[in-house]
Amino acid sequence: MELEEEIIQIADLGCGDTKLLKLLKIYPCIQLLVGVDINEEKLHSNGHHLSPYLGEFVKPRDLDLTIILYHGSVVERDSRLLGFDLITCIELIEHLDSDDLARFPEVVFGYLSPAMVVISTPNSEFNPLFPTVALRDADHKFEWSRMEFQTWASQVAKCYNYCVEFTGVGTPPAGAEHVGYCTQIGVFTKIGGKAAGSCVSEDHDQHVYKAVYMTSYPSLQQEKVLKFVLVGELLIQVEHLRLRHHRMLRERKRESDPKPRDTDFSLGPDLLLGAVFTEAEKARIENSPEPFCEGDKFCVPLQRLLAYPKLHRLRVDEERMRALIADSVCLSSDSSAVMVDLYNSLDYWPEDS
Amino acid sequence: MSGRARTRARGMLRGSRALEVRGSPGYLAATSVDLGNSEVSLSSRTDSVWQPYEHDAASGDGEHTLMERRVRIRQDLMDLGICTRERLAHVKDCKTGSSGLPVKLVTNLFSLDLPQDWQLYQYHVVYSPDLPSKRLRTALLYGHSELSDRTKAFDGAILFLSQKLDQKVTELTSETQRGETVRMTVTLTNKLVSSSPVCIQFFNIIFKKILKKLSMYQIGRNFYKPSEPVEIPQYKLSVWPGFAVSVSHFESKLLFGADVSYKVLRNETVLEFMTDLCVRTDTSCFPQTCETQLVGLIVLTRYNNKTYRIDDIDWSVKPTHTFQKRDGSEITYTDYYKQQYDITLSDLNQPVLVSLLKRKRNASMEPQAVHLIPELCFLTGLTSQATSDFHLMKAVAEETRLSPLGRQQRLARLADDIQRNQVARFELETWGLHFGSQMSLTGRVVPSEKLIMQDHICQPASAADWSKDIRACKVLSSQSLTTWLILCSSRAENRIEGFLSCLRRVGSTMGFNVGYPKIIKVQENPASFLRAIQQHVDPDVQLVMCILPSNQKNYYDSIKKYLNLDCPVPSQCVLTRTLNKQGMMMSVATKIAMQMTCKLGGELWTVEIPLKSLMVVGISICKDALSKDTLVVGFVASVNPRITRWFSRCILQRTTAEVADCLKVFLTGALNKWYKLNHDLPARIIVYRDGVGDGQLKAVVDYEVPQLLSSVAESSSDSSSCRLSVVVVRKRCTPRFFVETSKTVQNPPLGTVVDSEATRPAWYDFYLISQTTSQGTVSPTYYNVIYDDNVLKPDHMQRLTFKLCHLYYNWQGLISIPAPCQYAHKLTFLVAQSIHKEPSLELANHLFYL
Repeated sequence: MELEEEIIQIADLGCGDTKLLKLLKIYPCIQLLVGVDINEEKLHSNGHHLSPYLGEFVKPRDLDLTIILYHGSVVERDSRLLGFDLITCIELIEHLDSDDLARFPEVVFGYLSPAMVVISTPNSEFNPLFPTVALRDADHKFEWSRMEFQTWASQVAKCYNYCVEFTGVGTPPAGAEHVGYCTQIGVFTKIGGKAAGSCVSEDHDQHVYKAVYMTSYPSLQQEKVLKFVLVGELLIQVEHLRLRHHRMLRERKRESDPKPRDTDFSLGPDLLLGAVFTEAEKARIENSPEPFCEGDKFCVPLQRLLAYPKLHRLRVDEERMRALIADSVCLSSDSSAVMVDLYNSLDYWPEDS
Repeated sequence: MSGRARTRARGMLRGSRALEVRGSPGYLAATSVDLGNSEVSLSSRTDSVWQPYEHDAASGDGEHTLMERRVRIRQDLMDLGICTRERLAHVKDCKTGSSGLPVKLVTNLFSLDLPQDWQLYQYHVVYSPDLPSKRLRTALLYGHSELSDRTKAFDGAILFLSQKLDQKVTELTSETQRGETVRMTVTLTNKLVSSSPVCIQFFNIIFKKILKKLSMYQIGRNFYKPSEPVEIPQYKLSVWPGFAVSVSHFESKLLFGADVSYKVLRNETVLEFMTDLCVRTDTSCFPQTCETQLVGLIVLTRYNNKTYRIDDIDWSVKPTHTFQKRDGSEITYTDYYKQQYDITLSDLNQPVLVSLLKRKRNASMEPQAVHLIPELCFLTGLTSQATSDFHLMKAVAEETRLSPLGRQQRLARLADDIQRNQVARFELETWGLHFGSQMSLTGRVVPSEKLIMQDHICQPASAADWSKDIRACKVLSSQSLTTWLILCSSRAENRIEGFLSCLRRVGSTMGFNVGYPKIIKVQENPASFLRAIQQHVDPDVQLVMCILPSNQKNYYDSIKKYLNLDCPVPSQCVLTRTLNKQGMMMSVATKIAMQMTCKLGGELWTVEIPLKSLMVVGISICKDALSKDTLVVGFVASVNPRITRWFSRCILQRTTAEVADCLKVFLTGALNKWYKLNHDLPARIIVYRDGVGDGQLKAVVDYEVPQLLSSVAESSSDSSSCRLSVVVVRKRCTPRFFVETSKTVQNPPLGTVVDSEATRPAWYDFYLISQTTSQGTVSPTYYNVIYDDNVLKPDHMQRLTFKLCHLYYNWQGLISIPAPCQYAHKLTFLVAQSIHKEPSLELANHLFYL
């Protein structure tokens, strides 16, 4: 399944050990991930696996992400799950008894009414291929054939104004193609798209689920984080330009120096490191004001810095940038450029030895 | 040699048979137990050893099924099992002193209360049929009705319960999702009391879980809060605040100790570091420079919570190359990171970093190599380059140094977080633990010492720095300096006259007669300095002074090497920069004059030593900077009753264990020297041994003490025999002590001794605070008397140790460890960093290494 750009809120009902949430959290477009399960202990013990990785504090996401785990039953209504873009129920419905199964569509499709629902369940026609003939799990209340699932799904879709397509995972072995996928999947898309859920007023707040775990990711949407990343990327870029400037000075000096040198200064093609710019990026950089020297200071215009991809992608304008970096770096007198010492204490070291 | 071949060679050097380099990204290696799980794993430390366990190990194939029935015990906990105190009759009942003024101290220790009859029940679980997956094992066991309501912790084989099961052996059956019946045999193997090492380790794991619940992340041994970073933008650094925590059984009870710790993070990827390095480096040796800079550093990856040590860089592998996944399929690194983590690599030309993973479960297996992409790795910690940058270190120190008050506030917040967090509290309560209050105790401040100079006894205003108090006093003894050389570059020449007149002036007040030197001008390069020394040094030269143009290591190293090995003459190196400090000239000259006095065999000051015939010895051990499997052992012994003259030896020893095996020779040499000077043997010898790492205490007790004893036995005659004591000195220890006043929290006064509650029941140990810090929090030095024939009262042992902290001639004030230890440390440092060989024996009677 391809994730579309606009999908930002996803809930996984019956999230169990939160495996799906862990897979989903890597996508940059998702901003809210919710897991619901009836087994509170599982949520407790798996919660901290969903907390940000250490590296995400150093290189944060672009967009905010909040992950919440609720303890509760999928046949209970909780308004905090209204207006989602996608609700997934992976291997869930076969655990519901007939009463709950009857209430399930009304809650998920009727009440929560997300833009998309994905439901997966075992395909019982596949079962004879397993060594033991039985339900796949002791807690399964039923396992449906393709016909049974599709009939149920089509009815539900019709009733709540969704259209449904069927697919599956786990292709059968050669010779047994007729049994279909091991797991069958119904993808329900709301006709008319996402709308109904989001207009529910605050009066209808129903908080029946118990929040067991919540975590928020650092992201560039948070001013503190943006500032940290901006200053960090900026200083890396300035340092890089400063070193290139040194190199240029050295090369110039060498050219004017008639004495032949025996050391080989060219690097093999293997060792050329660093990202390669696209033509558009190159043009943007070349069209911006160049770094310059002022006495023993090396200055890089803010506009130049903003032309480099790593800073450009942060989408801040010069004014905002100036405000964000003001108390962390030194600016030129007219505040148009970042100013650093042309030489610093670490400069000579690789050649010392 | 290619990167791979080199890795292989390194692997073999470490003693593994052969090394198979399987290129696989970091995550694939995560097959061993992840401590991040909610489960308890007692085998998570890499620095541990196996403790024998009565059962045989179950068989299994591959790393999944390899089930160990033994509990690995952390090395520092192993040390606690070495009960040295029970052999020392005079302190068996009481090891506390009584002299000095009592002082009330607050500690960084918190009580952990347990019910009186608390026990932990250790079970072993065998599955039939055997199940490879730990997850499945856990699910089946936890799902069983017999265990579902119990407080439990399970690592796949070992099960801990807070309540005993009815039977010693319990047979349980569960059904898998597939309907297979699995029999689980749960056998009671141990009943543990709270002070047992396994229990202590178990408590430590509970606290790991709790700190993770408090949004802290484990890096190495400590826990950090990346969500509250301190930024040092000008150096591209972030500092994460955190704690080093441990639960341990102290003198009378279980205590939780916490100390503030910081993790330095670099806000650049390894690729960015390499790119800049590439621009900096003009030469074709970029790959080598890169390896020198990076190998050994710890990196953090962007896509998981793991840290890796860089062991090598493989320049032949690029992100576009393929590797074999666990399922056998081939995939390129770029595709793998895109698919698995939605990460697009921007530089397809970067090499890969190689990290060798230690096998946690089976040390004998060869390490597995993983490949890491530089673009996805962040550097942690500081390079040696960065640590030598004064400005950078100052910036880091400013952000991380905490006053006692600041430290106390952090501790209080941590304790508060633990007590308030519901999950944390539940975790503790379920095991019957109660997190109590911060512990206070009473220490004693021993009396301050008077300094004995040649014709004057002075009581310093502050023992932290007595340079002002003794400015006008004559040193105990000194040799006249008549024949000596000064080597300097022409740039420094104009400074020489002013400096010399200062030196002669302070020399004459001290009673150190400085004659006029021969001044030799040299060019500004190490070779010229060395050539000039070789030309001008003859047997009459007493001392060579070199005015160095920069603190580049090769100047210092080449000079020291020549003058310590080939042509043993005391030498004094001074930086030109130091001589340019105009206003400081007098104090600079004083310091240099004192060092020169010592290097010529002079004595500066002493304190009153009540024991009339006492030799004190300092032993320090460190690794050689060039070859990591070479140990440098330094041995410094006093050779006169005033403890002002020293005999110093140093040896390089090729070994893997950090245990000295030359101590007999050294001590015999020192005793001979003593005999020559005093015509008798010392009545008592007290050895201070520094540099004992975690888990090495047993080796010191079993191998080093006997060497010393055998030397003593052979040297002694019937009429006289010397008595030996051995004290292990540690500068790093968990406890910190503060003095609480009505308004604030302060460092304890100099001379504070703690010998109760924060000490260990099995040891004859004490803490002593003998150093001050102008900013920040002072850390006490920990002393553990592991052998004691001298039968000194604890009071006397403590005071004697304090006295010895006054006798380091390179600092006019108290230092944190006894002077002989500091001398030995200084000596091993010189050898390990600069000369890498045993210094000439002719220098052994001088403090040539100051």
